[in-house]
Amino acid sequence: MSGKSRRDFLKTSAVIGAGVAGLSSSTAKAAPKNILSEDRMGVLVDTTVCVGCRNCEWACKDAHNLPAGNLESYEDRKILETKRRPDIKALTVVNEYSPGKNSNLPLDVKVQCMHCDHPACVSACIVGAFSKEENGTVIWDTDKCIGCRYCMAACPFQVPAFEYNKAINPLIMKCDFCFNRTKEGKLPACVSICPVEALTYGTRTELVKVARERIKRNPGRYVDHILGEHEVGGTAWMYLSSKDFKELDFPKLGTNPAPGVSESIQHGIFAYFVPPVSLYALLGGIMWITKHRKELDQEEKL
Amino acid sequence: MKKIFTIFALFILMIVSLHAQQSPGKDHSKLNITCKTCHTCDVPTKSDPCLVICPREKIATVYQKPEETPDLITIDQISDRYGPVHFSHKIHAQMSIMSGGCKNCHHYNTSGPILKCNSCHEDTRKRDDISRPDLKGALHRQCMDCHREWSHETGCNTCHTLKKNVKEIQPDQVKKKLAGMAHPVLLEPTKIVFETNYEKGKMVTFFHDDHTKTFKIECTTCHKNETCLKCHDTKKVSDEKSKIVKAHKSLDEHHKQCFSCHKEDNCESCHLNKQAEQFDHGKKTGWALNKFHVNLSCVNCHGSKIPYSKLDNKCVSCHKEWNNENFKHTITGLQLNETHAQLNCEDCHAEKNFAIKPVCTNCHENYIYPKQKPGKLVRTK
Repeated sequence: MSGKSRRDFLKTSAVIGAGVAGLSSSTAKAAPKNILSEDRMGVLVDTTVCVGCRNCEWACKDAHNLPAGNLESYEDRKILETKRRPDIKALTVVNEYSPGKNSNLPLDVKVQCMHCDHPACVSACIVGAFSKEENGTVIWDTDKCIGCRYCMAACPFQVPAFEYNKAINPLIMKCDFCFNRTKEGKLPACVSICPVEALTYGTRTELVKVARERIKRNPGRYVDHILGEHEVGGTAWMYLSSKDFKELDFPKLGTNPAPGVSESIQHGIFAYFVPPVSLYALLGGIMWITKHRKELDQEEKL
Repeated sequence: MKKIFTIFALFILMIVSLHAQQSPGKDHSKLNITCKTCHTCDVPTKSDPCLVICPREKIATVYQKPEETPDLITIDQISDRYGPVHFSHKIHAQMSIMSGGCKNCHHYNTSGPILKCNSCHEDTRKRDDISRPDLKGALHRQCMDCHREWSHETGCNTCHTLKKNVKEIQPDQVKKKLAGMAHPVLLEPTKIVFETNYEKGKMVTFFHDDHTKTFKIECTTCHKNETCLKCHDTKKVSDEKSKIVKAHKSLDEHHKQCFSCHKEDNCESCHLNKQAEQFDHGKKTGWALNKFHVNLSCVNCHGSKIPYSKLDNKCVSCHKEWNNENFKHTITGLQLNETHAQLNCEDCHAEKNFAIKPVCTNCHENYIYPKQKPGKLVRTK
């Protein structure tokens, strides 16, 4: 399948490249899909509420046809002693940290794709497989994915995982915000199973309001920071915590969208295949010139 | 005139009937909060109390004794993977006494009837109002916060039974098991002696008994928000390091508990170089409580304002209605004879000060009480 899609991709790009070779790279823009919707959805993760039951991990695997095992086996808390990252077999994981302020209870932090408002993966993807959907989800088209892993390098949260163990057709894997479920009006699997509703699903605008209200009503419980409200231009998944997010292994990020400058360069290089075509044109030109010169030289000699 | 009276009577009747219709906690309308704090309409009724949506910032809660509460509550509204949860309510109510009591779980409950959780928490997760958790979330949060603290586990089976095994557990069985079950009565210390670094007085003696039994201070006045963890922890950290951690509390924090009442006392009132003696009203104030006063609680005389105000020792300061006509002198153990019974109090008790000896010299030269008595001694009951 991959061979076919890759061939298709090359074919289409060649056609497009040839067709629009004359266009300037400045006209390159993201697909209309990637326009931010006012009603895009998100999730507010309240780490002070999360109990670390890891039911979300099970539900996620179950919803994505990954080997999930028995739900009861997730009660084993030994696994929380080591810090884990999402991978190809677990698109979300829960890590445990020491208690935050005014609490005896450990802090549990669910990690998954943050579904950025300005996703670096979307802009980094050279084949346009990634897209930010209207409901806030950042998904990718496995048929288009060529496994270049640019998205992995671009992601400020280092979320996308790669099927290194597969020799043939290795793909990128990450949380897809249960796009297939939300399409049908269902909740994401993790949100649905959470026993304590540490994960609140709603429109991003509403969630920011809810988060602010929680901090205001309970300043002793939370640090005054909603992670994801402004980080890298805002994310669909946002976090509340009772200690500094640095201590919860979140990278320190600015408020500028991660793509930024790289996007314009990246898109400039790869848009409509302008540079390769011009490069070939240049090389062809040089060849023609050298060939022409040789011919001239020979004519002179004769 | 008669008409006005009838209208007035009707009006009173209407108010009374309205009040009866609400059947909230007793006298909740007399509380120092405006009606609009909890009600949105002008005339709330029992069928439509028009309560403002949760959370209600200022609330009045009723206190129910744990013993008066239901033994068992079966939670089955949202059972799905698991069968219904049989929640042992009474024993949990007993356990919560030191950590906030009823309102620990029944938060934002108005005075009066106990509101059902689902009157605020919707039983569907996909909903419009996400400002408060759904029912499943709210219920779990109530349980997990404590259970996690002492067991360090999140196992579902502590409370839940899988639906396939649910037939084995019947509510009656659980009820039978719970009958007579109670949290053991907490053992109160009588006296605690703290050793401190304070130069002028290294010892602070704290009479727990005095504070709870004599001064009748509620446990939760000092033991604020204590959790099960204070006594229970199934996995106490055995690390030696963590045991000897000294609390580096600030001076304020150290004294916070005492200062909430003793804010006007000197350091040396508590910090002594020997163990302090138990509180004795006579020694401390110079006015020993007699058998009439010893059974009263402090607030009866001193009012509820803490620290207690000093009273003078004139009987009429409290017993304002007493005069020589209605005061039965016999209760003091001395029955006045006829002549003396006619006198005013201050004829013998100078300036109505009953703490000092009465004087006879106003009428009788060289008479001294108690050598000469204005009547006969009687045994009082």
